[in-house]
Amino acid sequence: MSTERYSYYPGCSLHASASEYDLSTRELFAALGIGLDEVPDWICCGATPAHNVDELLSLSLCAKNLELAGQMPGDMAVACAACFSRLKFTQHVLHENETKRRQVEKAIDAPVPLDRTVKHLLEILVHDLGVERLAAAVTKPLAGLKVACYYGCLLTRPPEVPQLDDCEDPTIMETMLHAAGAETVAWTHRMECCGANFTLSRPGVVLQLSNAILDSAKAAGADCIMVGCPLCHGNLDIRQREIEGVYHRHYDMPVFYLTQLMGLAFGIAPERLGLDALIVSPVKLLRDKKLL
Amino acid sequence: MKKKKMLLSAKTMDLDMVKKVEQLSGTSVRRCFQCGKCSAGCPMATFMEHPPNRVVRLLQLGQWQRILAGRSIWYCASCETCSTRCPNKVHLASIMDALRKLSWDQDGPSKESYVQLANKLFLQNIRTYGRQYEMRLAAVFNVKSGQFLKDMMLGPKLLTKGKLKVFHQKNRNLADVEKIFSRIEEMRKTGEAL
Repeated sequence: MSTERYSYYPGCSLHASASEYDLSTRELFAALGIGLDEVPDWICCGATPAHNVDELLSLSLCAKNLELAGQMPGDMAVACAACFSRLKFTQHVLHENETKRRQVEKAIDAPVPLDRTVKHLLEILVHDLGVERLAAAVTKPLAGLKVACYYGCLLTRPPEVPQLDDCEDPTIMETMLHAAGAETVAWTHRMECCGANFTLSRPGVVLQLSNAILDSAKAAGADCIMVGCPLCHGNLDIRQREIEGVYHRHYDMPVFYLTQLMGLAFGIAPERLGLDALIVSPVKLLRDKKLL
Repeated sequence: MKKKKMLLSAKTMDLDMVKKVEQLSGTSVRRCFQCGKCSAGCPMATFMEHPPNRVVRLLQLGQWQRILAGRSIWYCASCETCSTRCPNKVHLASIMDALRKLSWDQDGPSKESYVQLANKLFLQNIRTYGRQYEMRLAAVFNVKSGQFLKDMMLGPKLLTKGKLKVFHQKNRNLADVEKIFSRIEEMRKTGEAL
């Protein structure tokens, strides 16, 4: 039961700047025959700004979402790495700290379901479904596509919170892509920070950090980058032209969401995966590799 | 403040702050022995006047005002690398959260106003709409920070790609969201929460 039906928490970005992540997630899960029910009236998890200045508020907003999802069947499926991290952090902190749990339960006026399992899409695909089922669903192997898997910060750090994979050398993305027939490259910046939400307040920070990431992926011979976080995507894709201009580089490096690449491998039509919403167009690359 | 010679005495050291930070962050400040691994791995250290390990040292020495006066805590990206690599299990990312909260409560004596403005608008949006609306957030940030042309070239491109939503619905449970904010304010007034 729990492996076949999930309560879905998309998060704010997936309803706007990352709408293609939302679209491709729904298509992918439909193709795999897995139920995905959006949590009604979910609220913002508070992301970085909330825990930056007000931990109690951050914990309470996430607890409210856990409570809303707790009224639905199945584990909680989260697409955004930041939302995933905040929800897992909330469970971790409230589990460890009795005082904070009492304060949060008072703030949301309800008990917090701490045992509700929160999973990132990667865990659902690779652990719950398993590599064999993924490989069996592949109709169009991503043969010859060299992908740099970008984990960023919050999928694995700090290790005691997300418990998704090794905190310095994870392999879950590579495992998934190998099942889809793609090649993955070894590169230096797979765990480095992209600058995250400084994109609003101090974009110069993002340009510098994201440039290093694009540079490393290019040097490793990657055709494209794969991410599981809308903020990383925004910084690497939406700001890529600006980065090229500032640092006088030429990357032309498409950045895919993990659900888009898997969707392609499962033979889902490209227009239903939101590939046209990517700022750096992947059309030439995919045509060259005979994937379009 | 930050260039002044540091004199350590009972008068110049604010050690209460160490206890407050430890209470808020749930981690030990005193356990740090200055190995510097946090600063070695910090992607933001180049933007800070005090790298992460020095922030902890200043805190240990009760030099809280020096930390507040600088931008370092506002340039932390919360990437959690420091907490992950600390050999003494000092959760530095949580210490940064606690320091920002204490600074925030004093209404931001720091010079770093852009990050604080972005945070403020972000939280206001949650209280008003229940969710984040990126276009509104970016537009209001530009107006309030006086950078009217910031990212102007990105706007039309994002609109045609369907990445900016001009119209949005409010959540049906906005009253619940407001209650969360007001109950927390109430708990702080009565001293029940920090």
